[in-house]
Amino acid sequence: MSSALALGHRALREAIRTPDAVIPTLFIPLFFLAVNTGQAARIFPSGSTGFLHGQGYGAFQLPSTLLLAGSFGTAALFLVEEIEGGYFDKLRAAPVPRYAIVLGRLIAEGVKGVLIASLILALALVFGIHIASGVLGFVLLVALTALWAVVFVGLLQLVALKTRSAAATNSASLVFFPLLFLTPGFVPRSMLTRPMEIAASVNPVTYVMEALRSLILRDLVWATIAKGFAVVLVLGAVMLVLNVRSINRYD
Amino acid sequence: MKHYVSRAGTVEAVRGVDLEVRSGEIFGFLGPNGAGKSTCVRMLTTLLSITAGSARVAGVDVTRDADAARHRIGVALQEAGLDPRQTGRELLVLQARLFGLSTAEAEQRARELLALVELEGAADRVIKGYSGGMKRRLDLASALVHEPEVLFLDEPTTGLDPASRLTVWDEVRRINARGTTVFLTTQYLEEADALCERLAIIDDGLIVREGTPAALKADLRTRWGDGREPTLDDVFLDATGRTRDRVAGEVQEVSA
Repeated sequence: MSSALALGHRALREAIRTPDAVIPTLFIPLFFLAVNTGQAARIFPSGSTGFLHGQGYGAFQLPSTLLLAGSFGTAALFLVEEIEGGYFDKLRAAPVPRYAIVLGRLIAEGVKGVLIASLILALALVFGIHIASGVLGFVLLVALTALWAVVFVGLLQLVALKTRSAAATNSASLVFFPLLFLTPGFVPRSMLTRPMEIAASVNPVTYVMEALRSLILRDLVWATIAKGFAVVLVLGAVMLVLNVRSINRYD
Repeated sequence: MKHYVSRAGTVEAVRGVDLEVRSGEIFGFLGPNGAGKSTCVRMLTTLLSITAGSARVAGVDVTRDADAARHRIGVALQEAGLDPRQTGRELLVLQARLFGLSTAEAEQRARELLALVELEGAADRVIKGYSGGMKRRLDLASALVHEPEVLFLDEPTTGLDPASRLTVWDEVRRINARGTTVFLTTQYLEEADALCERLAIIDDGLIVREGTPAALKADLRTRWGDGREPTLDDVFLDATGRTRDRVAGEVQEVSA
């Protein structure tokens, strides 16, 4: 584990030294939050829209912002750069457990996820969004966002290991956008058309989004929260197994 | 042996390579582009699986006990494998930590190695700003953090200017003088002549010559039998079946 931590520390240092790769992670999700709220806030006034639980439409949109921010990790692209530059082989030639090589970057991505989620939530509080689930809810929001960031970046890392191509890895990251739009991102699932509701129901991102949303709007609804965490934990386990298998077979 | 499977069928990238490198020597591994040099190095350094046959490095089977082999070898591949966003010192400390040294030991080892490769002045600058020669020297240093028994250098001077090349040669000699066995691939025959006690020439995945540079030249001199003094270039051309005309016409290859 000490090797994974040392590699995680290195990846964090790398992120600090490349702010140009990190700043869009924060800026673009906040931009979408402002735009989406500006476009739909008057359609869904807080006083007469039951699913907002007395808050503004920005609070309803905040989970999408958190998920989007969590999906902008750069670890996979840095990994491709490392493969192309030869440093990845240097690491593989060291007596380091293979899992530590993939875990290092994921640890760093988790730490970045915590920081970015905390910052977005702090900004949301400044702009009047209320976290209905209190301090524990805040912590769970940060944890769930960070775990999502680790899972998503881990899946991209898998693409990077398989393809060794920056273009393919970059394209794979676009997969998130259909997944984000196939969720109850603008209205609750019950208000979607039937085909859209079916699509949202089979989309695992929906359950993460609903868990985040319940923490912001409805207090601690454990059944909903548990589904969100279950999704990231199951996807995370699958992602880790595939990553380790991929690096073990890397030739 | 290394097989690659492609749509065109199975390709034997390396076959019939039977080599023994003696402890403490600098062994040169020469061959034209695509002959199988890097494939051999990658197999010996656990980076590539061996599909048939076996290889032992410092007494350890690289397939059966890859981790034990990794503890005994240092590797500097064709591309200086460095993380451009770290400083030279950070890179060496991390590398030492990965080989199991404590933080204090790793920092001490980094200081020693930076002094060895004369990079103390640039130790706290990010590697992105290093020159090609500095990167090579740092790559060499990073291969030495754990004082390996065997050091693999895959074309360590490719792309370097003559002064940097001589500096790397000096480093290699210095490392070898401390008891490290060096396995060196190169396309520069004068490099092999200057550094290597013994060498092997590989062509199309097969070893076609093996011996000391002097013995290989003497053998060719005898076969020529006209009093001419062969160079290592001549040995190479003879071994790989190329002539100077063919070299000029078909493949951009050696010139010493």
